[in-house]
Amino acid sequence: MKTSNQLLLLGALSALSPVAVADGPAAPDTANWKCESCKFEQGVSGTLDAGVGSVSDKSSEFGQYNGLYKKGGYFIGGTSVRSRGADGAYWNLDASDLGLDTRSIGAEGGKQGSYKLSFKYDETPHRIGNDALTPFSGNGGASLTLPAGFATTTTAGMPLAASQQQVDLYTQRKMLGVGASWNRTTQWEYAVNFRHETRDGNILRTGGAFFVNTAQLIEPVDYVTDQMDASASYAGRKFQMKLAYYASKFSNGNQALNWQNPYTPIVGETAGQIALPPDNQFHQVSASLGYQLSDKTRASADIAFGRMTQNDSFLGSTQNAALVVPGLPGTSLNGRAETMDANLKLSSAVTDKLRLNALYSHNDRDNQTPQASYPSVATDMFLGTARTNLPYSFTQDKVKLSADYRATSRLRGAIGADFDSNKRSYQEIDTTREDTAWGKISSRVTDKIDLSLKLAHGERRNTGSFQVIPGITPAENPLLRRFNMANRTRETVGLRADIGVAENFNLGLGVDSSDDKYEDSSIGLTSAKDLSVNGDLSWTVSEKTRLHFFANHQVIKSRQAGSQTFSLPDWNADNKDTIDTFGLGVKHAAIKDKLDIGADYAVTRSRSEINVNNGAGNPAFPEVTANLNGLKLYADYRLKENVSLQAGYWHERYDSKDWMTEGIAPATIPNVLTLGLQSPQYSVNVVRLSVRYKF
Amino acid sequence: MANGQTTMTIKKLLFAALLSGFAFGAFAADKPADKAAEPPAPPPSMGTEYTDTGADTCLMCHVEGGDFPVHAIFKTKHANRADKRTPFAPGNLQCEACHGPGKKHADAGGGPDGINSQERSSFLTPQQRNKYCLECHQNGPRTGWHASTHDSNNVACASCHKIHAERDPVLATATQPEVCYKCHRKERADFSKPSTHPVRFGKMACSDCHSPHGSTSTGMLIKPTVNQTCYTCHAEKRGPFLWEHAPVAEDCTLCHHPHGSVNPARLKKNPPLLCQQCHSVAGHPSVARTPAGLPGGGAGGQAFLLAGSCLNCHSQIHGSNHPSGVKLMR
Repeated sequence: MKTSNQLLLLGALSALSPVAVADGPAAPDTANWKCESCKFEQGVSGTLDAGVGSVSDKSSEFGQYNGLYKKGGYFIGGTSVRSRGADGAYWNLDASDLGLDTRSIGAEGGKQGSYKLSFKYDETPHRIGNDALTPFSGNGGASLTLPAGFATTTTAGMPLAASQQQVDLYTQRKMLGVGASWNRTTQWEYAVNFRHETRDGNILRTGGAFFVNTAQLIEPVDYVTDQMDASASYAGRKFQMKLAYYASKFSNGNQALNWQNPYTPIVGETAGQIALPPDNQFHQVSASLGYQLSDKTRASADIAFGRMTQNDSFLGSTQNAALVVPGLPGTSLNGRAETMDANLKLSSAVTDKLRLNALYSHNDRDNQTPQASYPSVATDMFLGTARTNLPYSFTQDKVKLSADYRATSRLRGAIGADFDSNKRSYQEIDTTREDTAWGKISSRVTDKIDLSLKLAHGERRNTGSFQVIPGITPAENPLLRRFNMANRTRETVGLRADIGVAENFNLGLGVDSSDDKYEDSSIGLTSAKDLSVNGDLSWTVSEKTRLHFFANHQVIKSRQAGSQTFSLPDWNADNKDTIDTFGLGVKHAAIKDKLDIGADYAVTRSRSEINVNNGAGNPAFPEVTANLNGLKLYADYRLKENVSLQAGYWHERYDSKDWMTEGIAPATIPNVLTLGLQSPQYSVNVVRLSVRYKF
Repeated sequence: MANGQTTMTIKKLLFAALLSGFAFGAFAADKPADKAAEPPAPPPSMGTEYTDTGADTCLMCHVEGGDFPVHAIFKTKHANRADKRTPFAPGNLQCEACHGPGKKHADAGGGPDGINSQERSSFLTPQQRNKYCLECHQNGPRTGWHASTHDSNNVACASCHKIHAERDPVLATATQPEVCYKCHRKERADFSKPSTHPVRFGKMACSDCHSPHGSTSTGMLIKPTVNQTCYTCHAEKRGPFLWEHAPVAEDCTLCHHPHGSVNPARLKKNPPLLCQQCHSVAGHPSVARTPAGLPGGGAGGQAFLLAGSCLNCHSQIHGSNHPSGVKLMR
């Protein structure tokens, strides 16, 4: 941290003078507080849901996370049960989506204030595509093979018609968690939680390259992640603390993906091998504490030490037996990165109207992975120059100071300054420093109108000059400034209005804007803007009817420059995304205490405009578009006091166009054998009917 | 340019309107009382005496089905009498533990004066209202509530939590986002974009990544850094890899928008332009890829522009542990 930052922090701390603890009202005599009117819950109660639903069409995109990706019927099942005993004993059971692979079951029980046991099982699908086409066999495994005689020089000559098959791309997460906590006293709590998560499936691996020829491959996913949290917490009136340990262990059932070369080998590259994510671990111990220095001054701090390790066995340098490759410097990496994260925060209500806040935070990732020279084979074809690995380290120090002043009961203002310093190793810029000044004013203009405006101005500057990194070849254009390290001026504006137009009608409006200028970047990102304008309203039309509306308009723009001649910039590109979202929802009690109905309609439209100008008068790229329209109707009809019928209809339509994939069949590009994935389109209807039984 | 001017004009108008609003707010606050009117009533203040019979006093007026129903509290953890920490445990202050001494409020026959209603309309500031909650809940993630982003922006505990509901919507994965969207409207739109985390599908909550009660990390995350937060679900990207991609090891959000994007994989921009923001070495990375590279466009180089673009070959974009993976192709 810079000396100036330390002085600022010390200055702020010295201003945080302790204020005497105010005396509260005298404690009452509660002998007569019988709570005879209190209807404390006892016994078992809950709901059971059962029914059926039907999906009109198969669509991975529609069902990407909701389990409704298959055409046909499905079972609706769920429950929510709770039990309360007189002695504080309790248990809850919640289950939902039992007939889908989004199912979730959670249970918790124990004696409140004494101990708690918990259980959780949860599935989350991610359906990526159901129209992937590939001539490879063995998809889902670690070895992809081709029919004999398949390889040719270009995709056009490949016998795809005879060998192509359709493969679903998806992953399925299944998480099993158990936990326990014990309150030794009202102040001490010990807790431990385990989570075991598997993730299986096939995902798109976008490159199996041999020099200029490549193929999109299907990568197997067979991941297991085990996580554990253990903690001891103390909660006193003035002092709180927590000691914790976190462990995360990742294992991959496949170390590598092997595939046969679909192109005619030139120098013996009949097959390739790509490394899959290696097994790794992370362990972290942490401590956090809070202390009430006085009634008006509080301090909190936390510190965490972590270690990431990765020591999977190395794969061979190449699958090409014709190449003679020097030996590797070891059998595994012994990768290790130490992390240290610390924070110190103080805040004080110096007067009834003025509050001062100060924060210092430090985040460090110290990559201690040993460096060594590794022989390198380019895409199993050519022996290249040996290369030394670059274990990147990052250190961030941040100081944030702010003052909050309540001028009147209706008007508040705040000002602040953030000082952010980032150090990086093996990069073109060693250190960047960003200073941001901000101010905010908020006002309750009338009892029904709240306004707030926040303005911020930030300047990031790097210290030292651009340096060429010896380990990176070929070298980057010296005029390039990577956007995360480049000098930058950032202006942000946040405006918000909340208006109670009437007792039953609330309106909210907001504007968020960010404007970045990279003044000293002649190559790379040179400017970026993001503007969002949004609003929502809620209207209680009558005792029976409520209405809700929201809308958001966003424009994201950026400009970048490049140099085709490895010298001065000679082309630039503009990217503009425009996204409009709006939704309307209505709830209506059609028959009081008997029938509730409702509807939600939501629309999202996006379009991306890309212009690349290299001085040749290029036209713009075709617009990339996506349109999502969704309508949900639902009804809840009470047949009896404890039995209700629930019905729903959901229509969703999506169409998108993206020139990156549109019309790109597996053999469209001569040297890229693609999976032929197309921009998603769908129109799906879902109906559901279920019975809810209350007990 | 015209768009730029329009945007500037809109900004100026908004700014002027806002300043007028603030000026009016300050004026309204400082406006002297009408001299001809009756002496102004004393400003509302908290009562200093507790009721005689605790909750039984409160429940005389706060009946089931009334304008201010409270009875669902008895289905919540706050009303577990066997837990000595709760307001309704024997000897504790029941309703007045959270709402403050209630005699003044009860004697006045109700109304906003004399009581901490925990409502936005209360005469108490959010910080004053929150103090009642923090008396018991200043542990765990709330240790750092003070001066957190939400605290500094006048968020009250009751802005998000429904204490009297049998099930607090903000504590359930499927219903939590709607609570957050009340203020975070832009995020609602983000999660409606074509590529998002599964929040709108009810499979992920805002609090899976964010710590709303106070966190010193960027964006109030549950872990000290962006990447440590992402690794809780994406541990396969943690490494450390033999060949790291520097921005990946530094901050996932340099390339990805975690809430939502119009581009696949929540990318901020599609390749090749995404990659060309940082890569301009001599040869193919520095070449401007124009529509001439589209099918039928007449130029070659489709492999650099279409399908996966740069990732057609450099697919190990998150790092590689292959000895020959220096170019992130193995």
